[in-house]
Amino acid sequence: MEYCRFFEACTNLKQMFDTQTSQSLQRTRGRAHVGVQAKGGRTVLRDLHQSGSAKAFLPNVHDPVPEVVFLNTAGGLTGGDHLIFQIDVAPNAQLVATTQTAERAYASPGGVARLDVQITVGQGASLDWLPQETILFDGAALARQTRVDLADDARFLFVETIVLGRAAMGETVDTLQFTDHRQITRAGRSEMIEPLRITTDTLTDRQNPATLAGHRAFTTIALLAPDAADHLPKVRAALPADIPAAASAWDGKCVIRMMASDAFPLRQATALVLNTLRTAPLPRVWQL
Amino acid sequence: MTPDLLTLTQWVSPAFPLGGFAYSHGLETAVARGDVTDADSLQNWLTGVLRAGAGQTDAILLVQARRGADVAGIATALAASPERLQETLAQGAAFARTVNTMTGQSLPDAPLPVVVGIASRPLDLPDQTVIALCLQAFTSNLVTIGVRHIPLGQTAGQAVLNALHPLITDIAERAAQSDLDAIGNACFASDMAAMMHETQQVRIFKT
Repeated sequence: MEYCRFFEACTNLKQMFDTQTSQSLQRTRGRAHVGVQAKGGRTVLRDLHQSGSAKAFLPNVHDPVPEVVFLNTAGGLTGGDHLIFQIDVAPNAQLVATTQTAERAYASPGGVARLDVQITVGQGASLDWLPQETILFDGAALARQTRVDLADDARFLFVETIVLGRAAMGETVDTLQFTDHRQITRAGRSEMIEPLRITTDTLTDRQNPATLAGHRAFTTIALLAPDAADHLPKVRAALPADIPAAASAWDGKCVIRMMASDAFPLRQATALVLNTLRTAPLPRVWQL
Repeated sequence: MTPDLLTLTQWVSPAFPLGGFAYSHGLETAVARGDVTDADSLQNWLTGVLRAGAGQTDAILLVQARRGADVAGIATALAASPERLQETLAQGAAFARTVNTMTGQSLPDAPLPVVVGIASRPLDLPDQTVIALCLQAFTSNLVTIGVRHIPLGQTAGQAVLNALHPLITDIAERAAQSDLDAIGNACFASDMAAMMHETQQVRIFKT
């Protein structure tokens, strides 16, 4: 307690006298913002902001739809870190966004890492948000919040995969504090809320047949579009037979859930399902 | 005993016509897949659903609705599958219709915990009591489905419900002090079971 107050006082002094020094404390901070707009029938970059450890770049792709790749240059997240990724797709523009590598949440020495993903997709616009998996290591504390605001007829496709340690590396996760709040609104109305929470208690009871059922990797894919239900038959036909997987469509959503004992089978299955929902090839970082 | 407590126990009675017996919450699929095979696995499955699924979620939605928040849209968006949405909307509508006809009120059609939350506003009872009795009704219905479908003896089923009382009261206590941010779901398997139920070959239940 005394030590904390002392430390806080030191930090305040540092901030008063030398802002550069306080920025060099180990905490990772960063914000990357990408805005695109439609221009002459194509989508072009409108604005790009990068600060701290968050980067975004646009590789050359042969597809008419541009691709943006987000990156955390700190190479992972730990307690106290705060990263923000923002995507703004203006009316009638189209974009594919992904991440350079799997996001890793490492053991926290104290505090919670925060990752905020803030997305807006305008009228007639389309976004594929296809980040690579999030790997949670033993002792990780991560709060991720994904907020997506869609215009009336916007199209939005996303995938999120959570992996509890890497099975191939013999890693087991026993201690964890993870919340992953995904909220999608359309024209201001809540369309889909997925408030995931996996804690040490969840892991203590990891064989529970209603919760993890002994699995370590979990994927949600969702397409929110006026014609989402039309995709259900071919999505169901593409579901893997060797791992638990299911798809449903209702109220302008087509939702796919899958789980497995490790990330790899999910990565393969995810690629197959995404290919039924998309015409362009998957981003290069996704190619197996 | 107060008239308010009698009203609440009337609402949560299996005789109150919500049609809950038709909704297995994915339990039918969990039994068909061999995930739930006996009293122990039924109790585990219900523990997961109560602690990390609809139990905790609906408890918080109920208490927020009871306190005046408009959470119908959030409750709808939280449904993990179309059958889950139907399960909560159809029972919510049946609850509203029954109470409205009995009392002349005009409760709206909304997901079940939201309608019960709104209806319970005038009841002079602790939030925990309202939540716990609603969770018990939800659990009791699933135990009954388990008893008929696994199958289990009646007494073994009641023993499962009895064993879940501490969890139910714990969830109710916490939910009474929680806001919407506290909703957290880890029911990956039972949410998937609810989705798989749509394509299951033999189905007795609507969910």
